Amino acid sequence: MTEIIVVTSGKGGVGKTTTSASMACGLARRGKRVAVIDFDIGLRNLDLIMGCERRVVYDFVNVINGDCTLKQALIRDKRLETLHVLAASQTRDKDALTEEGVRRVLDELTAEQFDYIICDSPAGIEKGAHLAMYFADRAVVVVNPEVSSVRDSDRILGLLASKTHRSANGNGGVKEHLLLTRYNPRRVANGEMMSVGDVKEILGLDVIGVIPESPDVLAASNAGVPVILNEESDAAAAYGDAVARLLGEECPLRFLEEPKRGFFARMFGG
Amino acid sequence: MTTQRAEAAAAPAIDIRFGQVGLIQVLVWTTDPGAILDELTGRVATAPKFFQRTAVSLDIGPLGREPSVEEMHGVLEAVRRAGMCPVGLSSGAAAAQALSQPLDLPLLPPFREFHPPAEALGRGARHVEPVAAEPEPAGAVAQVHAHPVRSGQRLYARGRDLVVTAMVGAGAEVIADGCVHVYGALRGRAVAGARGDAAARVFCQEFHAELVSIAGVFRVFETLPPELAGKPVQAWLDGDALRFERLGA
Repeated sequence: MTEIIVVTSGKGGVGKTTTSASMACGLARRGKRVAVIDFDIGLRNLDLIMGCERRVVYDFVNVINGDCTLKQALIRDKRLETLHVLAASQTRDKDALTEEGVRRVLDELTAEQFDYIICDSPAGIEKGAHLAMYFADRAVVVVNPEVSSVRDSDRILGLLASKTHRSANGNGGVKEHLLLTRYNPRRVANGEMMSVGDVKEILGLDVIGVIPESPDVLAASNAGVPVILNEESDAAAAYGDAVARLLGEECPLRFLEEPKRGFFARMFGG
Repeated sequence: MTTQRAEAAAAPAIDIRFGQVGLIQVLVWTTDPGAILDELTGRVATAPKFFQRTAVSLDIGPLGREPSVEEMHGVLEAVRRAGMCPVGLSSGAAAAQALSQPLDLPLLPPFREFHPPAEALGRGARHVEPVAAEPEPAGAVAQVHAHPVRSGQRLYARGRDLVVTAMVGAGAEVIADGCVHVYGALRGRAVAGARGDAAARVFCQEFHAELVSIAGVFRVFETLPPELAGKPVQAWLDGDALRFERLGA
């Protein structure tokens, strides 16, 4: 049974692609067959975050247009053999995607018995974002703990409830999850940033993960290695937890408190 | 009042005459706006001045069915976005009659009807090479581009060489029917001999290419060979094999 998961947010720059890459890796690391698709036609980034940018020959739009087969366009990850990437096209715009074309590609992936298809949505609520969420069974809404991101997420949640295949066909709707990124416990404690509780209350949804703000994320993006693969990083552990919760496991939220600083650190700063 | 009327009689406000004007026909094979826009922007790019703000008449005969008004709105939008101005429907097809009113487009009677069979336009095969409508002037001078070619941009020199005197970014595509010359860093894709000329070559000053293709034979550079990375390089086709060599070594 293939499950289609859209990673979306409305707002740009909150960590959709980082999350898509890490969730896909996390699921593949647990032996699931995963395909991750970049829906951001014209501004493709997922290939960079996954570190396969020099292996892109054919892309999503080529498959939709029938210029190549899906097999030719799927890039197999070098680290995890059950993980596949379908890159976006950089030279087209979002109108190159059609509902029919997207449906065909997703059906073919389903027939290939992938366990999970992760759709990395572009920012905004236009065609690309709409098609990324349209066929989803589940949605991971990525939100930063700040008011504009929360409002945009609220808007996206509204669309998920009304403008998807599941909502249109009365199949119980899309299952929604919240994922907070760039969470900084110290700034939350200082009242500069919204807390998990605030965000949960405004959006009325349960949280599948809280990713602490971490320099490892940027470093991972630049290196083309999804941050979840960095064993030493808190962000990686938090993404690992989120994947576990996605699979129905229960684990407590971590990294919500500022790490206790040692005596020397308190004395000398740092 | 009287004087004005007298003048009007001398110089009439309008004249009605029968005359013929040339009008480009857009034969509509599909109502998929994305596909139409893709193809039109490709064609318009090869002759931007010629197609910009050009009046066109839509011929829905090739569709072989009556499209809905909504579908036709999509088609019209795509044609407009490509820079053309749809001014009417060619009245050859019966369906055009019904659509004229709701689309608010006049019917234009055909002067000499022309419906080539689908095969003649290369339908059936999905990817259509641009039809060689008119032979290119032999020995046309290269198309020169002096600005950086950014990620997502695509340059095509039809029937000639392409010279870029700046860098070509990752995710950009420089395409020529002849050779491709890049006086700068080549980080994107270079396609020479796009219409099958096996003698075409790719030259660049600083080689970091993602992909190089000559006459349909291509190579993807997942990792750059250290002897080529960042060096001036030329690529050519030797039989079926692509060859790369450092220039001036």
